[in-house]
Amino acid sequence: MSVKKKFKGLSDKAVAWLFIGPSVFLLLAINIYPLIYAIRMSFTNFYANKIGREPQFVGLKNYIKVLNKEAIWEKMQVTANFMFWTLLLQAVIGLGLALLLNRKFKGNELLTTLIVLPMMLSPAVVGVFWTYLYNPQVGLFNYVINFFYDFGSFDMIGSSELAPWSIVIVDTWMWTPFTMLICLAGLRSVPNYLYEAAEVDRASKWQQFIYITLPSVLPFLLLALLFRGIENFKMFDMVVELTSGGPGSATELASINLKREAFEKWKTGYSSAFAVILFVTIFGFGNVYVKVMNKIKER
Amino acid sequence: MDTSRSYLEPSSFSKKLAATIIIVYTVITLIPISWMVMTSFKNVNSAISYPPEVLFEPSLEGYVNLFTNRSRQSQEYLDSLPAPETWYEELVRSREMVITGPSKFLGRYSNSMIIGFGSTFASVFLGALAAYAFSRFRVPLKDDLLFFILSTRMFPPIAVAVPIFIMYRKLGLGDTHLGMIILYTVVNLSLAVWLLKGFMDEIPKEYEEAAMIDGYSRLQAFFKVVLPQAMTGIAATAIFCMIFSWNEYAFAVLLTQFNAQTAPPFIPTIIGEGGLDWPAIGAGTTLFLLPVMIFTIILRKHLLRGITFGAVRK
Repeated sequence: MSVKKKFKGLSDKAVAWLFIGPSVFLLLAINIYPLIYAIRMSFTNFYANKIGREPQFVGLKNYIKVLNKEAIWEKMQVTANFMFWTLLLQAVIGLGLALLLNRKFKGNELLTTLIVLPMMLSPAVVGVFWTYLYNPQVGLFNYVINFFYDFGSFDMIGSSELAPWSIVIVDTWMWTPFTMLICLAGLRSVPNYLYEAAEVDRASKWQQFIYITLPSVLPFLLLALLFRGIENFKMFDMVVELTSGGPGSATELASINLKREAFEKWKTGYSSAFAVILFVTIFGFGNVYVKVMNKIKER
Repeated sequence: MDTSRSYLEPSSFSKKLAATIIIVYTVITLIPISWMVMTSFKNVNSAISYPPEVLFEPSLEGYVNLFTNRSRQSQEYLDSLPAPETWYEELVRSREMVITGPSKFLGRYSNSMIIGFGSTFASVFLGALAAYAFSRFRVPLKDDLLFFILSTRMFPPIAVAVPIFIMYRKLGLGDTHLGMIILYTVVNLSLAVWLLKGFMDEIPKEYEEAAMIDGYSRLQAFFKVVLPQAMTGIAATAIFCMIFSWNEYAFAVLLTQFNAQTAPPFIPTIIGEGGLDWPAIGAGTTLFLLPVMIFTIILRKHLLRGITFGAVRK
């Protein structure tokens, strides 16, 4: 340490603060301040479109209102259902694709890059062009399904039974490459000697899969699902453009409902309470999940 | 059984089987994107024909419609006009319409560019500074600070959108380029710091220490030695930030309307006469997605790192 003081210019400590300062300041100003502001508003009856009207402190009233509202629980159920199916499908298909890609056949690098393309696209724009594919009169999706089995006319977006599946399909199409890519990294991290040793012990291929491959990929798969879980809990853009929460409220996820309350009905106090509840949920679940994930990793 | 050969050397049959399944998946997964690109080259009628047309006569109608505003006119009026001077005017007239002016698409597209480049530059610059400090110095509460920076990414955008909306209204930043640049810079900061810290950790400390023994100050060593060494990482990070700003929708739709609106909230509003103008939407989508696809191909080696905030490195 003492050696470094001989160098010219600012001390390391000064440089450290100079370098970190601006980032921390910006995060505090544009992220933390609004969050605190939202928490404060959640205890008032504030309406952002009514300028000049002093908001009044109402205590926990907004929170009680949110938690007692049946419609909110319906939205949470829609969100949970969406998350369950997308995560399940993406885990299974993603892991399957990764296992296949790991058999280093010729051209697998190129194919990996092509498979990854959907997840880099703008979710809102993806939502728009899937409304065309799902169009009941002229959509390609409907045509292909009817080509294999004639269901007659059906409307993926317009029917309340099918609409939840329409968003699951698009999300799975878009994000399966994400789990695939991370699982692939997991597969490549397994040292070869483990398999060599297993072969010496005459372990069958199935046993090698269960006792070597699966445990090594699991932490990677869980990490991928954590990222996807957080993202899909917040899901907004793709679904807004695809179904805009409809028909009725069949695909109205928590974020979409929040946007309606905050930016269409302008119930700022109430929607802030809802936002805080969502934020605490995501944070709580995230923390528990990370703890479980670390326990699995340690084993 | 022959198939029970080892994991390390799959039999050629199992390799072929894997390759076949992967190729089929790749083709299926690319159909929606290809279909949108194909639609952009159809004319309005062939885009809504059933069964869907795979072979069609290519047309630039979608692109013309994307870039222009048009109004329908009577045949007599069209006949009274002088002959069309350009091919696109001719195309529009054949649909019994005249061009009334350019559409908003170009403006929205350049907004996406300005806001994308501005915020990318700012977040990579600030991120590189912070990443270097986290990588090299003993910072008090380092892990907590790093986690704090990451946790800001978990906020649902809608949750902070209302306060930001009110704040921006007071500061006069609502619906401005500067406001959106600042916002996207902050959203991207967490990614930039985490990714760049990983890249900087990989640069040996000895490089800048040698430079400092030669008389460089810490700042000079950072700008003249470390930054050039980290160029690949910086480029990869920049592309990730650019893609995020390019694709972002929630803030854009809530905080901008006329002046600083980017392309994602605009593309869905492209509507033709009597229903959606699918070729024009296809054209907008194609032009919008093209840069991202090119970037993805450039990025392919760093993709994994980028999408996991540097948690998984190859």
